[in-house]
Amino acid sequence: MNNTFRGGIHPETHKSLTRDLPLRPVEAKGEMVFPLLQHIGKPALPLVKKGDAVLVGQRIGEADGFVSAHVISSVSGKVKAVEKRRVQNGQMTECVVIENDGSYTSLEPYDSRYDVSHITGEEILRRIRDAGIIGLGGAGFPTHVKLSPKDPSAIRFLIANGSECEPYLTCTDQLMRTESAAIVEGLELMLRLFPNARGVICIEDNKPEAIAAMQAAVAGRQKLSVLPCKAKYGQGGEKMLIETVAGIFYPASMLPADVGCIVQNVCTIYAIERAVVYHEPLYRHVFTLTGDTVASPGNFIVRDGMSFAELLEAAGGLKEGACPRKAIVGGPVMGMAISSLSVPIQKTSSGVALVSVDESEVGQSKMTACLRCGRCATVCPVGLTPQMMADAVSVGDLERYEKKLYGLECLACGCCGFICPAKRPLVQMFLSAKAEILSRKRAQAGGKK
Amino acid sequence: MNPVLNLSAAPHVRDRWTTKFIMYAVCAALLPATVVGILVSGFHAFLVVLVSVASAVVTEYLFDRFCHKEDTWKDGSAVVTGLTLALTLSPQVPLFLPILGSFFAIFVVKCCFGGLGKNFVNPALAARCFLLISFGTAMTSYGSVDSVSSATPVALLMTGRAVNITKMFLGTANGVIGSSILALLVGGLFLWAMEIIHGEICFSILLSFTLFMGLFGGQGFDPYFLLAHLCGGGVILGSFFMASDYATSPVTKLGQLVYGILIGILGALFRLKSGAADSFSYSVIIGNLFVPLIDMYIIPKPFAYTRKAIAARSHEEKLPLLRRIPRPVLVLTVISVIAGVALSGVYAMTKDIIEEQKRAAKRASYKSVCPGAADFETDPEIDLYLEELDGEPYGMTFGRSTINEFLVAKDENGAIAGYVLNVTSADGFDGDIGIALGLNRDGMLNGISFTSLNETPGMGMRAAEPAFKDQFSNKAVSSFVLNKSGGSSADNEIDSVSGASTTSGAVVNAVNAGLDFFHTVVKGDG
Repeated sequence: MNNTFRGGIHPETHKSLTRDLPLRPVEAKGEMVFPLLQHIGKPALPLVKKGDAVLVGQRIGEADGFVSAHVISSVSGKVKAVEKRRVQNGQMTECVVIENDGSYTSLEPYDSRYDVSHITGEEILRRIRDAGIIGLGGAGFPTHVKLSPKDPSAIRFLIANGSECEPYLTCTDQLMRTESAAIVEGLELMLRLFPNARGVICIEDNKPEAIAAMQAAVAGRQKLSVLPCKAKYGQGGEKMLIETVAGIFYPASMLPADVGCIVQNVCTIYAIERAVVYHEPLYRHVFTLTGDTVASPGNFIVRDGMSFAELLEAAGGLKEGACPRKAIVGGPVMGMAISSLSVPIQKTSSGVALVSVDESEVGQSKMTACLRCGRCATVCPVGLTPQMMADAVSVGDLERYEKKLYGLECLACGCCGFICPAKRPLVQMFLSAKAEILSRKRAQAGGKK
Repeated sequence: MNPVLNLSAAPHVRDRWTTKFIMYAVCAALLPATVVGILVSGFHAFLVVLVSVASAVVTEYLFDRFCHKEDTWKDGSAVVTGLTLALTLSPQVPLFLPILGSFFAIFVVKCCFGGLGKNFVNPALAARCFLLISFGTAMTSYGSVDSVSSATPVALLMTGRAVNITKMFLGTANGVIGSSILALLVGGLFLWAMEIIHGEICFSILLSFTLFMGLFGGQGFDPYFLLAHLCGGGVILGSFFMASDYATSPVTKLGQLVYGILIGILGALFRLKSGAADSFSYSVIIGNLFVPLIDMYIIPKPFAYTRKAIAARSHEEKLPLLRRIPRPVLVLTVISVIAGVALSGVYAMTKDIIEEQKRAAKRASYKSVCPGAADFETDPEIDLYLEELDGEPYGMTFGRSTINEFLVAKDENGAIAGYVLNVTSADGFDGDIGIALGLNRDGMLNGISFTSLNETPGMGMRAAEPAFKDQFSNKAVSSFVLNKSGGSSADNEIDSVSGASTTSGAVVNAVNAGLDFFHTVVKGDG
């Protein structure tokens, strides 16, 4: 199989826990929390205040500027408060708190198709923005911004990312199996924005059912194709997908659009289809609840704003006597550990793994001195030499880190940190070095003014 | 219900491989060679291995204790060092050598420079070289296996004699504990297949070593010659288990290639030119010392910055052929071509001059033992006899002494002024000892002079001093006896050079061989 990228790792996937379990809707009870900042960009501005009544699909946060996104209520009920709450990244963020009345009274039924045969590109972008759609792969970049490159005619590839390379997660797999037609329709709608682009759906070859379903759905459509990729962690990265499809690896100073590519997660594409064809805003999405402590793991359709604890309870709770040591949101290689299950599920939460063993815990993987084995360099998808970068960081030579070793190119994909036999905190070192360099640059630029 | 959850930065999963696992995998790969070595050499070899490993671990443990370091002795790296050191030792070494060596390796080379991954040369190799310099005799006495000779195959090979490659391959020839090529290859290829050691290093060493040997070894690409050199002198052990040591090899693939080629070429050069059978250790150590330099300058460009990537982005996909080759490869190729041409040019130009000078030096030393000689002539009959001997040692009682040449010295008038014999003894401490014997017309020994002598300075080399050499002058005896206690009075007694009885014995044997040859073959007395 040649459809792959350079580098990458093969962690234990743990996907067999949930890979064949169909998507199940789960209803929320009680209090719902909607952070106003779930995306990259400026936080949304609250549109409601305490005591206001809201409906399902109602906009409760208004995007502040172009690089921002609306926030949508997923339930009907009363606004309890607009206040700072702890969210999944561990920070206190301004949130709209809604008491769910349990009736799910909707603004619109979202079940009838609108005619999209003559829809303009502008209209599509407006619908996407109105629906509050952001990148559902985890980063949360506002989708309407990503779909508005300077020169739409220069886009050659519209890449649908169905690789789902993070261990544990299987909800995208299930979505592709069941909603392949909708995903293809979403992709075709997006293609209207880019006259010279072809749509390529990349799926790792460990999901043969999804590949078959998508292949059946694209059959007969000339501008679309399915590209089965080698199953390897890192495949879902934007740069790695573009390398796989277009054979180009671009530097950090460029955007995908600069090399004629745009990448969207298939979950995002599905949301686009719902938004454009059914006028349904983004208030629910697919989610994998898994891990060895969960009584009945599975793939769910969850409403934004419900807490992880509530979902766990609705899904059947923990195994008898099991106690999770760590809760990892968004996959264990790049995802984040959450401090408490009472934080809300937000748009970018693609799954949670409640695991009984924390592999990065001291004692189970004790750090030793660097062996200089060079494994990190062989798995780096960017072609960096993490060993040398870590050396430079540890002696404080940020000049070498940036100029000689191209340290700012690091994607923090976690491959080097995973493979390191000495268990060194490589990714953390690089993130802190990058932050330090960028803040120095900002200070310099500020000084010049 | 809200369990206490761990918080940490990503990645939350870790590969199963740990430092310890890698170290014990290396130990496992060394095991076949260790077992074969012990089986072949006997119980003492087992003791050497045991003592070496134990003292390495104990040294690291004590260092950890006294310097309040973390328990690094458990990570297995000390075991690897101890085991590798043991494999580079002769099975007969006294047990204090592995103790001293392991201490030197772990304490001086590793711990004092910052511990795991910070040592500047391979600790085991550094310890071996340290022992070799300090305890040369004990380190280089091999061979209870093959009681006929005590030289290792490479030492034999370097003096131009035949070796048994099958024995070397199986590990039953003379040599260090880890000398079974088969067992080493099993372990080395296992590590390579596991991707623990980098093929870039070991194979580039082997390849460049073989190429250099073939090009400049003087025997062309003779498979027997090349195989014998590859199998001997620790080339396999060195390339798979020492040069590939992580701490002292480059991190980048290109750096590893450069490093491997450097070691291979140095190893072959030393093998051809230095006369020391242990020279491969030094070439690896020199390679080690180049690693910081290599790592400083050879940094691969990230994928986004390679020429090809930039060309693809700017849609100039068709590059001229020369620009499509990565620049370091091009530069390295050009450098090696230039170096190769220069080397062979210099060799070709100086070959005749060197030969001429060698001949002149030989004549000068012949003349020095045969006063009054103006010219030297060969004797066809004797030459025929010498041809029959075909470089085999002469006689049964003169050690490994070979008669190379017999010449009749003529004075200015063409009358016989005396005779000159060129004898070589292979029993020298370090390589061959070449001696010219000068006899007068009556068969009296005028004196001897050395045509080649590479013994230990200050010891064996003192054989060339008049105090020893002149003992042979103007003696009309048929053979000499070596007197190791000194104070000789009889004509045929020779006082040994103190501390160099091996050298002295070899010289006396060679002289006796020459005298015997003269009396029995030339004069036909016997």
